[in-house]
Amino acid sequence: MPVTETFSLAIKNIWSNKLRTILTMLGIIIGVTAVIVIVGLGTGMTNSVRESFASMGINSMTVSVWGRGTSRNATVDDFYRIVEENPVWLEAASPEIYMNGTVKVATESYNYTNVKGVNEEYLGMKSCRVAQGRGIQYMDIQENKNVCVIGAYLARIAFNGNAVGETIKVGANKFRIVGVLAPKVEQEDMQEGSEDDCVYVPYSTAMRLSAMSIPNSYVVTMTDENYATQAKAALEEGLYAIYNDENAYYVYSMSEQLEVMNETISMVIIVLTLIASISLLVGGIGIMNIMLVSVTERTREIGIRKALGAREGAILLQFVMEAATTSALGGVLGIVMGYILAAAINKIMPLIMEVDSYVTPTIGSVVVAFGISVGIGVFFGYLPARRAARLNPIDALRYD
Amino acid sequence: MSALIEFEQVCKFYQMGDTVVRAADHISMKIEKGEFVAIVGQSGSGKSTCMNIIGCLDVPTAGTYRLNGRDVGKMDRNELARVRNEMLGFIFQQYNLMPRLNLMENVEVPLIYARVPRVQRRTRAKEVLEQVGLGDKLKNKPNQLSGGQQQRVSIARALVRNPQIILADEPTGALDSHTGREVLSMLQELNRQGHTVVLITHDNSIALEAPRIIRLEDGKIVYDGDSHAPEAMRIHSAQGGDAVCL
Repeated sequence: MPVTETFSLAIKNIWSNKLRTILTMLGIIIGVTAVIVIVGLGTGMTNSVRESFASMGINSMTVSVWGRGTSRNATVDDFYRIVEENPVWLEAASPEIYMNGTVKVATESYNYTNVKGVNEEYLGMKSCRVAQGRGIQYMDIQENKNVCVIGAYLARIAFNGNAVGETIKVGANKFRIVGVLAPKVEQEDMQEGSEDDCVYVPYSTAMRLSAMSIPNSYVVTMTDENYATQAKAALEEGLYAIYNDENAYYVYSMSEQLEVMNETISMVIIVLTLIASISLLVGGIGIMNIMLVSVTERTREIGIRKALGAREGAILLQFVMEAATTSALGGVLGIVMGYILAAAINKIMPLIMEVDSYVTPTIGSVVVAFGISVGIGVFFGYLPARRAARLNPIDALRYD
Repeated sequence: MSALIEFEQVCKFYQMGDTVVRAADHISMKIEKGEFVAIVGQSGSGKSTCMNIIGCLDVPTAGTYRLNGRDVGKMDRNELARVRNEMLGFIFQQYNLMPRLNLMENVEVPLIYARVPRVQRRTRAKEVLEQVGLGDKLKNKPNQLSGGQQQRVSIARALVRNPQIILADEPTGALDSHTGREVLSMLQELNRQGHTVVLITHDNSIALEAPRIIRLEDGKIVYDGDSHAPEAMRIHSAQGGDAVCL
């Protein structure tokens, strides 16, 4: 019996038993819905983690150096040299010195504002765009100038947008503002304490004011985020050559951390998906059960079909097709439900709590969910279908 | 040239508890192409077994059944299915139509199993339904029809593959005598058109419509010949001894 005829027959039989079919499909619907939402949740979380890491610079490494007392310490020039020696993996380096002291404009204090001492390359490494004035320049560093570039938040809140040329105080020290950066965070009410709430000063000035002989922390960028492992290894090798001691420095790679985070999220998602899959299994057993009932109910029909010339293969195909269609239909409904539920969660959750990740169903999970539901139908439909196919036509015809 | 249907010492034994039921006990007979034969017997006489074997729904325990010269006992299940589809048209007492399908779809079923393309299927199904006088009810469901009409649908379905043999199992059993007569005259008409008709019945008055009667008792043939011969209606082993019912 051709597949198209079998399929339309399956649809006809499913349609004439609507309530039963829906009840049968329930397990599959719930399972697929759960899988779609859970995988969507995982994707949303991964995306959100990725975004927050990306804003911190996914292609950058943070290096802390402690030194070893009397022996030689890595200087800024040592870092530049290491970068130059590994052009394939490493791109640029800058000291990153966190300065203590509250930021003050006139009498107003800004407690969340970070103050960092950086070099002339830093803003480029962090993809910061100068909106007004200029950035930190080589001469500022050479001459330990008390100049600074400030983030968009501070410029807006403290200076009403006209910050260039004004003065800012960090602790007891005055800095002249030479530039303002373009905002990185779109929503203005989210900018406080973010990258836009920042003051950048020349690192030499920061060192002088903090009475530091060498920078204690650096940022090193890599040429490509996929080279995280190699870049980290190259950097560590360079530092080891200077210190001969692995404990004198620590290289922290964002993308490595991201990888660890992603792995953790994936593990959680896999476990949740497996739990949701139990519903698929139960759904499959439900389909098998109802197909067995259906075969018994339709024993006579099977007998008639055999008398009219149906081969065992045709009967087998008919029942497998019916189970698979039921299951696939459940899968489609589950996918639709999954999308609806995901949309509902995305609408409702922000009203209850602050969220920065959304349920993002993926095409991949849709394809897999549909495939699995068809597979379940075929797998669990096979046994009842084989029973139908093997019925003795005489007994089947006599059956009431 | 061999006979269309040929039984040679055909036996069918069932184990039922401790006893062996001899549903067919060394039956030998021949039915030629174009014949109209009634197989008569009371329940338990083995006529259903006979019909199952003729219809390739069952195979003999022993002996040989040749259909059109081919040994059915040597066919596998797929071949049996093909023979049922191509050579045999079944008409059942309970019509055995599929309630969810309309008349067209019911009649199309054998054509689907023969992999006839859709358009030809439609045309042919319509043709036979018109032939049995139901051309105006193609889209009706079987339960919207009277018993006689339903039996006509099942005749149409039996005819749709234009089989050599029409096997009718108590075709009038569920009908009143008037519609029963109609069905019988349709069978006679089909026989005149060249189909070999085998009618299975317990009812002697129905069996008389066929020119030849094969009477079974306890799995054995007790009479095979002209339906109008005086011995044709004699029941041998019935409780009342010899009896003639007309």
